[in-house]
Amino acid sequence: MTFRFIHASDLHIGRKFANIPQAPDGNIRGRLMEARHGAIAKLAQAARGHGAAHVLLAGDTFDTATPSASVLRQALTAMGEAAEVTWWLLPGNHDNLRDAEPLWEVIARDAPPNLRALTENAPVEMAEGVSLLPCPVAFRAGASDPSAPLDRMHSPEGHMRIGLAHGGVTDFTDSEEAIAPDRDQRARLDYLALGDWHGRMAVSDRVHYCGTPEQDRFKHGRRGVCLAVEIAGPGARPKVEEAETGSFLWSEAEVTLHPRQDVAAALQALLPETGRRDHLLRVKAGGWASLPDRAALAQAAQACAPDFAHFELLTDGLGTQYEAADLDEIDRGGALRMAAETLVNEAQSETLPPSDRDVAADALARLHAYVQGART
Amino acid sequence: MKIRAITLNNVRRFTDPAQVTGIGDGINVLSEPNEHGKSTLFDAIQALFFKPFGSRDKEVSALRPHAGGAPEVTIEVETEAGRFALHKRWFQKPLATVHREGKLIAQADEAEAWIAQLLGGDAGGPSGLIWVRQGMTALTGGSTKEEKLALEARRDLMTSVGAEVEAMTGGRRMDKALAQCREELAQYATSTGRPRTGGPWKEAQDQVEALTATRDQLAATARALQDALAERQRARRALAELEAPEVVAERREKLEAARAAHAAATRHAEEMEALSRAVELARLNAESATSRLDSYRAGEAEQKAARRAEAAAREAAEAARAALSDRRATLEAAEAAAAEARTALKAAEDDHRHALRARAARDGADRRQALEARIKEAEDARRRMESAAAAAKSDPDAAALQRLERLSAELSASRAARDAAAPQVTVRYAPNQSGAIHGDDGPLADGTPLPLPRRTILRIDGIGELEVEPGAGGGKDGSVDAAATRLQTALDEIGAADLAQARAAGAARVEAAARQGEAKAVLASLAPDGIDALHQALAAIPAPEEVSGAPDLAQAEDALQTAQAAHERCRIARETAAEALADAKAEAAGKEAQLASLSDRLQRAEAQQAKLGDATEENLAAQTVTTAAALEAARLAHAEKAKDAPDAASLQAALTRAESVETQAREEIARLHPLLARLSERITRASGDAVEERLAETEDQLQAAEAALARIAHEVAVLSRLQEALQDARNEARERYFTPIVKELKPLLQLLWPDAELTWGEESLLPHALIREGREEPIEVLSGGTQEQVALLVRLAFARMLARAGRIAPVILDDALVFTDDDRIERMFDALHRQAGDMQIIVLTCRQRAFRALGGQALRLQAVVP
Repeated sequence: MTFRFIHASDLHIGRKFANIPQAPDGNIRGRLMEARHGAIAKLAQAARGHGAAHVLLAGDTFDTATPSASVLRQALTAMGEAAEVTWWLLPGNHDNLRDAEPLWEVIARDAPPNLRALTENAPVEMAEGVSLLPCPVAFRAGASDPSAPLDRMHSPEGHMRIGLAHGGVTDFTDSEEAIAPDRDQRARLDYLALGDWHGRMAVSDRVHYCGTPEQDRFKHGRRGVCLAVEIAGPGARPKVEEAETGSFLWSEAEVTLHPRQDVAAALQALLPETGRRDHLLRVKAGGWASLPDRAALAQAAQACAPDFAHFELLTDGLGTQYEAADLDEIDRGGALRMAAETLVNEAQSETLPPSDRDVAADALARLHAYVQGART
Repeated sequence: MKIRAITLNNVRRFTDPAQVTGIGDGINVLSEPNEHGKSTLFDAIQALFFKPFGSRDKEVSALRPHAGGAPEVTIEVETEAGRFALHKRWFQKPLATVHREGKLIAQADEAEAWIAQLLGGDAGGPSGLIWVRQGMTALTGGSTKEEKLALEARRDLMTSVGAEVEAMTGGRRMDKALAQCREELAQYATSTGRPRTGGPWKEAQDQVEALTATRDQLAATARALQDALAERQRARRALAELEAPEVVAERREKLEAARAAHAAATRHAEEMEALSRAVELARLNAESATSRLDSYRAGEAEQKAARRAEAAAREAAEAARAALSDRRATLEAAEAAAAEARTALKAAEDDHRHALRARAARDGADRRQALEARIKEAEDARRRMESAAAAAKSDPDAAALQRLERLSAELSASRAARDAAAPQVTVRYAPNQSGAIHGDDGPLADGTPLPLPRRTILRIDGIGELEVEPGAGGGKDGSVDAAATRLQTALDEIGAADLAQARAAGAARVEAAARQGEAKAVLASLAPDGIDALHQALAAIPAPEEVSGAPDLAQAEDALQTAQAAHERCRIARETAAEALADAKAEAAGKEAQLASLSDRLQRAEAQQAKLGDATEENLAAQTVTTAAALEAARLAHAEKAKDAPDAASLQAALTRAESVETQAREEIARLHPLLARLSERITRASGDAVEERLAETEDQLQAAEAALARIAHEVAVLSRLQEALQDARNEARERYFTPIVKELKPLLQLLWPDAELTWGEESLLPHALIREGREEPIEVLSGGTQEQVALLVRLAFARMLARAGRIAPVILDDALVFTDDDRIERMFDALHRQAGDMQIIVLTCRQRAFRALGGQALRLQAVVP
């Protein structure tokens, strides 16, 4: 008896990405939002591709406790349209039982027949011989391990036990409210499907975070996936396969500069050749650069930014190396040179607060840019 | 370079050669009245140095005399290389030459180049001359070209001492950088550093503010939604607990049980109440029986006692009546004796009064006689007093007499005066003829002169009459008559014939006044209160009465005393008897009353016993026993019932509690249903509004807006810092640039204004403001005198800088101090001398007197002696 299902979580449908800068004529926010909705179809497709009849959503299907009507309706409709799949929705911390009570009421009332909301801490027989043990999140911030009830959940003898929970594991936060990584053993689970962590992570053979099917942060560096799980029978080791579902790639790149380097080329070397339109890229510049190099870096970043869905350059870690030649470019003597030297001293001062140093450094860079502009 | 001599030929009025020679080092003064060619000299010098010999321009033309001709100027200068004569001629045969010690070393363009080299100095150095033209108070002025040259000269000088001004201050690049910085900053901030309205900074601030407000509002709504959800959950739970069927049933059972227990308790209480009443009744019966027996026994006793008392009272009343009649007899006897004594007393009193009256009549007659005599005397004295008073009033008083005496003296004096003035005759009778001549007043006395104040007729016996006429001037003044008249009038007034009579009358008056005083004193002693008082005293004395047969007073008094004593005794006896009677009456009345009351008591006692009818003591006692037994039985029954009474109060409390539990449950249910409906409505509305979704979005937006604001604030800080750094650097550079000239100028300025300073214009390289006592005054607004002083001092300072650089330039001042007052001029002279040293200063002035104090080498412009 082989049982197959799709494990996904953290769809965060309805997320608006208002913190992503959007050009007045751009629509990156709309595209990102749309991609989240599109994850439903991708999951349904993955299920079909893997011969799975069930999709387990381990919490945070919706971004907020009260999604707007169109977000909710369209999500339910989309799930309903994937009629060959049964959707199992677990309340996560974003759509927790208390704050999202109206949401779950609407789902209970209006959901398509192939959608099952798991709002009770009680085993459900999801298929013949397969018990689903859900741990819905009751409050936004819980004070205990949300998977703890699994230990006490009984299932008929000989049933496959699949746990479904939402929360962090001890590995990350080291606190009481985290999920014990060995919960599968304590609760004799065949598989524990976890949600909350947006990156893909295998905690153990039987315990997995699938990550969000559509990424929304830079740290994971890859497109979102879902897990296609296959379990041969009770006690069998699950076979877990990743299926890429994400349409946008969020990534972060670092470049360490050193003086007298072609910074534009260094930046260019980091950039992907293709797929820029669906790529959100954050470049962290470190090391040291001279004033003209900084200006050149900023210019290069400005030049490539429109290619990308989103591009940002962080120079917090980039130190400025002031060279006599740079100051000479401002002026070899006289008042401009005096001003420049004052600012260099301030920027390199060890007594001034960092904010003042930053201001002085940027003022110097600006002066450099002015003088360069005047010269060219 | 120093100028040593200047020669003019064909320059304006100098159609013949004229020259200034002997120009030395230090200060040289050419002091001439107007129209003596000082300005001509100045212009000529300028033309030589600055006008090419080929020039025919306005200024060169202005040098030509009216008659025309070619102006020629020669200046001998001394430089380190020696002494040179520079010569130029314009218009006809224009010419420029340079000679050294008579030897031509350059001419034409080469000479111009030589001169330019001389002026320009070496290596593009400063212009060799510092000029101050007549009336030119401003630092700038002259033609554009001159100004430009002067600027160049200053720039060269300053730069040679310091550095290139542009290099110092950053020049155009600095301006551009600063302008760009200001422009960018102005997009964000106002000049005072506040966010500019409509600018991105302000916009970002506003947006953060607006988003914060929206976020707070949405957060509040979200919180309200969460609260509502929590409350609804609580309400639902509470309702479920209240409405659970087993809970409802249990509540009802408890209530029923409490009600039943309470009803039982109520019934028991009612039975107890009935038994209590039975006990009370039995107790009343027993008490009534006992009391009847008691009253029967008391009535018997009373009857007996009343009878005994009544009998005793009756006896006492009888005795009192007898005593009363005895007392009455005694009183009658006492009254008779008293009447007798009263009669005797009256008789004695009459006798005594009679005797007293007789004695009083005797005493009154004597007093009357004495008083009547005294009245008579007093009236006599009064009469005397009144007559004396009358006499004293009628005669003249002392004042009138004095006047009379004075008038009489005046008359005598008048007469004596008149007689002294009048002619006099003196008779010396022959023997026996004495008295033969008679005047108006009788015969004339022998040898006594007779004055004749008026016509007088002397009758001479036997001869006839001799009429003597004194003539004019004698006796006509009338003063004697007037005095006589005044005297007579005064005498008439007091009714006296003459003075003697008047005097007698005056003496009589004095005497009468004395008499009056005496009489008054007598009267006062006799009748101090007036005669009327005496008359009244007299009238008060009773009229004499004829008394006869009066008894002797002493005897009458004894008899009266005896009678009085007897009467007193009888009166006391009577009163004692009356009191005794009254006592007896009271005693009798008391006894009678006692008897009456005891009779009543007896009657009452008898009536009381009669009421009891035929009851006997035996059957009354039997009743008492019966009723006491009944009472004991009732008490026992009541106690028996009370033993197993339920606790009514706690049963009532239990019932009340059960009822209130039920009521509360009902009320709570009634409250919860609408509350749930309201909450559900609120939840539906808020969740329909997607408040959390919007909150999440707003929070993201706010975060982005805050980041944008931080970026802009940083940008503003960066631009502000840059602007400040640039301005500071430029100011510092400028200061540094102007340091040499400021240093030169400082001691000069302080000659005029201690602690004064000048600020310098970067473009013009000239001072643009004077700072005195901390106040900055632009040069243009200073007075004419101050402006020209500043201009002169600045030029001197420049010249000084030149001199220090080893390039001495003559300072030529053409009436440079027009507006300066005498005091300042002295100090300006000090400045000039201070600067003179190794320099050359040539002063052209028409103010001969004022400039005499300057000292220095005096110059003359004079014709060249051929």
